[in-house]
Amino acid sequence: MQDYFIIVISAVLINNIVLSQFLGICPFLGVSKKLSAALGMGAAVTFVLVLAGLLTWFFQVYILNPFNIGYMQTVAFILIIGALVQFVEMVIRKYSPGLYKALGIYLPLITTNCAVLGVAILNIQKDFSLVKTLVHSASHAAGFSLALILMAGIRERLESADIPKCMEGVPISLVTASLMSIAFLGFSGLI
Amino acid sequence: MSLLNEFTKGIIKENPLFRLVLGTCPSLAITTSVDNGLGMGVAFTGVLLGSNIVISAMRRIIPDSIRIPVYIVVIASFVTMTDLLMHAYTPAMYKALGIFIPLIVVNCIIIGRAEAFANRNSIVPSVLDALGMGVGYTLALVLLCTFREVLGAGTFLGVRLFPESRAAIMMILAPGGFVTLGCILGFLNKMQSKTA
Amino acid sequence: MLDIMKLAVFLLVVSAVAAFGVGYVNSMTAPVIDKQALRMKTDSFKEVCPQGEEVKNESERFLKKNANPLIKEVNVAYKGGVPVGVIYTIEPKGFGGPISILAGFDIGARKVTAIKVLSQTETPGLGAKAKDPSFQDRYKGKSAEADLEVTKTPPTKDTQIQAITASTITSKAVTSGVNAARDHFAGNFVK
Repeated sequence: MQDYFIIVISAVLINNIVLSQFLGICPFLGVSKKLSAALGMGAAVTFVLVLAGLLTWFFQVYILNPFNIGYMQTVAFILIIGALVQFVEMVIRKYSPGLYKALGIYLPLITTNCAVLGVAILNIQKDFSLVKTLVHSASHAAGFSLALILMAGIRERLESADIPKCMEGVPISLVTASLMSIAFLGFSGLI
Repeated sequence: MSLLNEFTKGIIKENPLFRLVLGTCPSLAITTSVDNGLGMGVAFTGVLLGSNIVISAMRRIIPDSIRIPVYIVVIASFVTMTDLLMHAYTPAMYKALGIFIPLIVVNCIIIGRAEAFANRNSIVPSVLDALGMGVGYTLALVLLCTFREVLGAGTFLGVRLFPESRAAIMMILAPGGFVTLGCILGFLNKMQSKTA
Repeated sequence: MLDIMKLAVFLLVVSAVAAFGVGYVNSMTAPVIDKQALRMKTDSFKEVCPQGEEVKNESERFLKKNANPLIKEVNVAYKGGVPVGVIYTIEPKGFGGPISILAGFDIGARKVTAIKVLSQTETPGLGAKAKDPSFQDRYKGKSAEADLEVTKTPPTKDTQIQAITASTITSKAVTSGVNAARDHFAGNFVK
C-alpha cells in the first residue's frame, strides 16, 4: 500500500512530469491559455496516457521481452501510441462531436506529446507490475493536468497584467513555469 | 531560392527552437552542460538527416493517407539506430542523455520538417534543410547550455571557471531551464521588434 | 477494399525494411554493448574488492532457494587460490525503482570493503546522490558483525549510516540491501 502512495505522490508532486521532468512542454505552453481548454486537454491526455501505459506494458512483457527484441521498443511504442490516438479520435468524433470540436487539433497532437511516450518508457524502466503501471500512468496524467490547470489559471490572470511586449506569450509563460517549478521543488523533501 | 538559403534559414530566420518554438522538451531537460547539448544536437541532426533523405527519396511513392505513419516508422527506426550506436560507442553521452534519445522520435521538429519540406522537395535541398535545422537546433541548445552550465555549475565544457560554492544550483535544476529559455525568447522578440 | 490492402501492404513493406535496418544495427552494436557491460562489471568488482585477484561467480553454490531474494549474485574473490573477499550483487527497491549495488566484504577482516551503486533511477539531486562517493564511502570499513541502521543525524555508533539529506527512502533501501548481503556473508563466510 505504501508503494502505491509513494508512486502517486512522487508522480503528481515531486517528479511532476512537466515541472520537473520536462515532458509535455509543447501542449503545456500551447493549450494553457484558457482554463476550459486546459481541462479538456488534461482529460484527453489522462485517457490516452493510461491506455497507452497499459498497451505498451502488455507489448513489452508479452512480445518485446520474450522475443528479445527490446531494441524495437521506440518504434513499437510510438506506433501503438499513434494508433491509439487515432482510434480515440475516431471514437470521440462518433460519440461526442461537441468534445471533438472542443479539442480540435490538440487530439492528434497528443501523439507527439513526449509525456505519453516518456511515461510509457519510464513504466518499463522502473520495472512496474501491471497495476503499478496503471497507477503510475494515471498519476502522471494527474500531475500533467494539475500543472496545465495551474498554468491556465495563471495565464488568464496574466492577460490583464502589464508585461513588456517582448515577453508576452511564450516567454512569460516559461518564466511562470520556472517559478512554479521552484515551488514544486519544495515537495521533494516530502518523502 | 538558392540552395545555400535552405541551409542558413535553419540557423537564424527559422531556428527550430527559438523561432518555431519546437523541440522544447529536450532543450530544457538535457541542457545542463555544454557537452550534453552538443551530444543531443549531433544525435538530433543525424536522425533529421536520415529521415529527410529517406522521406525525400520516397516522396513520390508514399500514399498520402498513410504518410504520417510512414514518417513515424522511418523516424523511429533512425532514432533506434542512433540509440544503439550511442549506447555502444559513446556510453557516457548515452547515459547523460538517457530517456531523451528515444524521445527524439516525438521531437516535433523532425516530423515537422518531413511534412513541410522533405515530402515536397528533392534530396539535395532536403539534406541542406536537415543540416541547417540541425545546426540551428544545436546552436540553440549550446546557447542554453552555456548559460545554465556557467551560472549553475561554474564550469564550461567541464573547465571550472569559478568555485562551485558561488554557482546558482537552481540554474541546472528544472526552474533554471524554464527561465533561461523564457528570457532568451523574450530577448529575441525584443531584437526582432526593434529591427521590424 | 483493394485500396486499403495496398496501403496496408505499403506500410508493412516500409516497416519490414525499417525493422531489418534496425535489426542489422542491433546485431552490430549488441556485442560491443555486452563487452562494455562486462568490462564495467570487472572494473566495478576491482573497486569494491581490491584485494582479490581472481573473481569467480559462485551464485549457484551459495544462493540456495531460501536465500534473500535481494541478493542476485555471489562472486568470490580469490588471491593465490585462497578466498579473500565476497562481492554481492544486490537489488533492493529504492524510491524510483530497483537500485543495483555491489557490496564487497573482506573475509579476513569481517568488514565491508566498499559498496558501489551500479544503477539507480532515484530523484536527481536527492536520492541519486547515492552513487556519489561521499555517500558510498560511509559504508567503507563497516563491521560485518551486525546490521547497519540509517540515521538522519551524524552517526554516534559504528553501526550507523547517515542518510542522504531528504532521501531517507533511498538511503534505507541501499542499507537494507547491504544488510541482506551482510547477513548472508556472516552466515556463510565467517567461521
